[in-house]
Amino acid sequence: MHNSKDFKIPIGPQHPALKEPEGFSVALKGEKILGVDIRLGYNHRGIEKAAEERTYIQDIYLIERVCGICSHSHSTCFIQAVEEIAGLAVPRRALYIRTIIGELERIHSHLLWLGVAGHEIGFDTLLMYSWRDREVVMDILASITGNRVNYGMNTIGGVRRDISPEQSQEILIALDILEERTKYYIEIATQESTIIKRLSGVGVLSREDVLRLDAVGPTARASGVKRDVRADDPYAAYGELEFKVITDERCDVYGRTVVRVKELMESYKIIRQALKNLPDGPIAIKAPRKIPAGEALSRYEAPRGEDVHYVRANGTEKPERVKIRAPTLANIQAVKHMLRDRYLADMPIVIAAIDPCFSCTDRRIALKEQESATGKIISWPALHAYSLEWYKKQGIDFTALNKKLRAKGLTE
Amino acid sequence: MSPEERIKESLLKEFNYLEGSINIVRPRRMSIEVSLDNFMPVFAYLAKELELTHLCTITGLDEQERLGFIYHLTGESRVMVNLKTSVAKANPLIKTVTSYFPGAEIYERELEDLFGAKVEGLPQGNRYPLTDDWPVEQFPLRKDWKPALDTEQGVDKNA
Amino acid sequence: MSLIKKIITWARIKSPWILHFNTGACNACDIEIIAALTPRYDLERFGVVLKGTPRHADVLVCSGPVTKQIEDRLCRIYEQMPEPKFVVAVGACACSGGVVRGCYNVASGIDKVIPVAAYIPGCPASPKAIIDGVVKLLASLEEKEEVKKDRR
Repeated sequence: MHNSKDFKIPIGPQHPALKEPEGFSVALKGEKILGVDIRLGYNHRGIEKAAEERTYIQDIYLIERVCGICSHSHSTCFIQAVEEIAGLAVPRRALYIRTIIGELERIHSHLLWLGVAGHEIGFDTLLMYSWRDREVVMDILASITGNRVNYGMNTIGGVRRDISPEQSQEILIALDILEERTKYYIEIATQESTIIKRLSGVGVLSREDVLRLDAVGPTARASGVKRDVRADDPYAAYGELEFKVITDERCDVYGRTVVRVKELMESYKIIRQALKNLPDGPIAIKAPRKIPAGEALSRYEAPRGEDVHYVRANGTEKPERVKIRAPTLANIQAVKHMLRDRYLADMPIVIAAIDPCFSCTDRRIALKEQESATGKIISWPALHAYSLEWYKKQGIDFTALNKKLRAKGLTE
Repeated sequence: MSPEERIKESLLKEFNYLEGSINIVRPRRMSIEVSLDNFMPVFAYLAKELELTHLCTITGLDEQERLGFIYHLTGESRVMVNLKTSVAKANPLIKTVTSYFPGAEIYERELEDLFGAKVEGLPQGNRYPLTDDWPVEQFPLRKDWKPALDTEQGVDKNA
Repeated sequence: MSLIKKIITWARIKSPWILHFNTGACNACDIEIIAALTPRYDLERFGVVLKGTPRHADVLVCSGPVTKQIEDRLCRIYEQMPEPKFVVAVGACACSGGVVRGCYNVASGIDKVIPVAAYIPGCPASPKAIIDGVVKLLASLEEKEEVKKDRR
C-alpha cells in the first residue's frame, strides 16, 4: 500500500454502487504511476479447507488443480511433505521421474510465458511460435502421463506411471527439437533491437530490493540473487544432478526474459541427465492410508518460483492442515515496487514478467489521477492497447518483427 | 558443527528459556516453540542476527482453544526454521512482522480473514482473500466452521 | 470430411466473436482455450475471433467455478453482451464446480449465475474438446435457424 501522503483520491461518481472490486488500483500523475494497490482473491476456492475434508489421495487430485500451469509442482510439493511425515523412503526411480516431469513442466510454462510476454508487448507472432513449440512438450507429457495438463503422476510413496525406454527416446528427440528452437529465441532476444529497447530498463528491481521485498523465482534471479530451491533445499533427484542456477545482472524485464530462456536450456540438460541415469527399481513403495501424527514443510522450485506446502497429519486418512503458498504471492510486494514511478504503459509487461496466473489479467484497473482527483475504470485489454500505442509513439513497434517471423513460416 | 546446531547454540546462548523448545528434525529443518510474550525478540534475532532473511509464509492453525502460528524462515544457511507461537482464541492478538518482512502483509491478512487473528500494526489496506461483504465473525479455516451448503445441490448457498 | 464441410458452412453464415472470461479457475482451461486459437488447433480458421469487450461478443467462453469475488462482474459482462448471446462453460469447474464443488466461496458452476448454452467437460477441457463444443453449439444454432426458416 503506498504512502497515503502520495495521494488521496476520493471514489469518483464513475463507480458508484458497482460491487465489482478492482484488481488493480493505480494512482497516476499524468502518465506516471505513483503507486499501485493490488487486490487478490479472485480465485480463492477454499482449497485448504477442502483438503482437510478429503483423504490424502483425494488431495493429490485437488492440489494439482491449485494452478493449472504448475500442477505437478503443487502435487509434488504436497506429497513430499506427506512422505516426510510418514517416513517413507521413496524409490530413486520415482524421484527421477518426478524430476523429469517437473522439468518438462518448467519448459511448457516458460514457453507459455514467452508467448504471453510477446503478446503483452505486441509481438504476437512470438506467441504463435512459442505456443507451437509448447505443443511438442504437451504431446510428450500426454504420452507419458495420459494428460496434457494435470498429470496425476504422483501417489503417496512414488509415481503412478513409469517411463519406458521408447518414451525416453521420444523425450530425447523432442528435446533436440526444442533446443534448436530455443536457440532461435535466444537469437531473437539478444539481437533484435526492438525487443531489447522495449524490455530494458522496464520493471527495475535492484538486488537490494529483491532481498528486502523477498522476491522468488526468475524475478529474483534476474536481479543477481542466486535463489533456487533445487539448489538451496534439494528435493526429488536434484541432489544427484548437475545443473546451473541461472542468474542475470540486468534487474529488469529483459533480464527476466534472459533467465527464463536460459533456464529452458538448463532444463533440457537436466532431463537428459535424468534419463541417462534413470535408476532401476520400483516406481513406488506401499504407503499407509493413515498418516501418523506429525508435520512437515516442503519446498519446490516451480517455474514461477518457490512453492511452499506445510502439512500437519493427525493419524487419520485426512490431513489436519494443509497450507499452500504459491510463488506469485511472494512477489506481490516486488511488483508494487517495480511499478512505482514508472509509466502506465509498462504495467502489462511488468506484471506479466513475474509470470502471474492468467486470471490476474482479467482484472479491471482503477486509474486515479492525483492532480485532477478524477478516476476511471479500464479493462485489461484497454490497458494493453494503450500500452502498445504509447510505445509506438516512442518508436518501438513490433509490426516489422511480426512480419519477419510470419514470413519465416510456422512449419510443424 | 552443523548449521542447525550452530543456530540452536546461538539461540540458547541468547534466550536460555528456549532450552527444550528447539528441535532439529532433520538436516535443514528445525522447529522452535515460543510463547507469545517471547515471540518478537526471538523472531527479531532470527531475522536480523542469524540472517534468516527469507520468510516463506506464515501458517495458521486451529488448535481448539488456541490459534497457532508458524513462521517459516530460512536464509543463506539454508536451514528452515519453523518458529511456532500461539494465542488464545478468546483474544487472538498478535503483532505484525512487516517491519522485518514487508511481504508478510499478505500472509497476515490471510490469518485475519481465515482464522480471525487480529494483527496489530498492519497498515490500512484491502483484506485478503475474502470479499468485503463476507459475514463478520465467520472464519472459514476454523475447525468448527462449515459453509452453508444447499442440501439438494451440495453447493455453497452464500457464494 | 463431413464435419469440415459443416464447419465451413456455418462459418460462412456466422463468424462468432468470442469473449473469454475466467471466473476463478486454476488457469488450465484458460490456457487450453488460448491454445485452441494457436496454429495447431486454429479455432480462428472457423471464423472464431477473440474479442476484448463484451459489447462485441456473441459467445462468452467461461472457465472457472465462479468465486464470490467475480460473480457480479460475470453478471455485468453477460448483461453488456448484445442479443443473441450464448454462454459456453469450459471445463469441469465451469460445468458443475468440478474439483471444488461444494467448497466455500464458489457458486460451483457458471449456470448457477447465468444461463449456459453449451457445456464442455474435461479437467482441463482439451483444445479439441473446446473446438468440438463450440462447433456443436454453432451447429445447433444453425439448426434452429433452419427450423425457423422452415416454419415461415
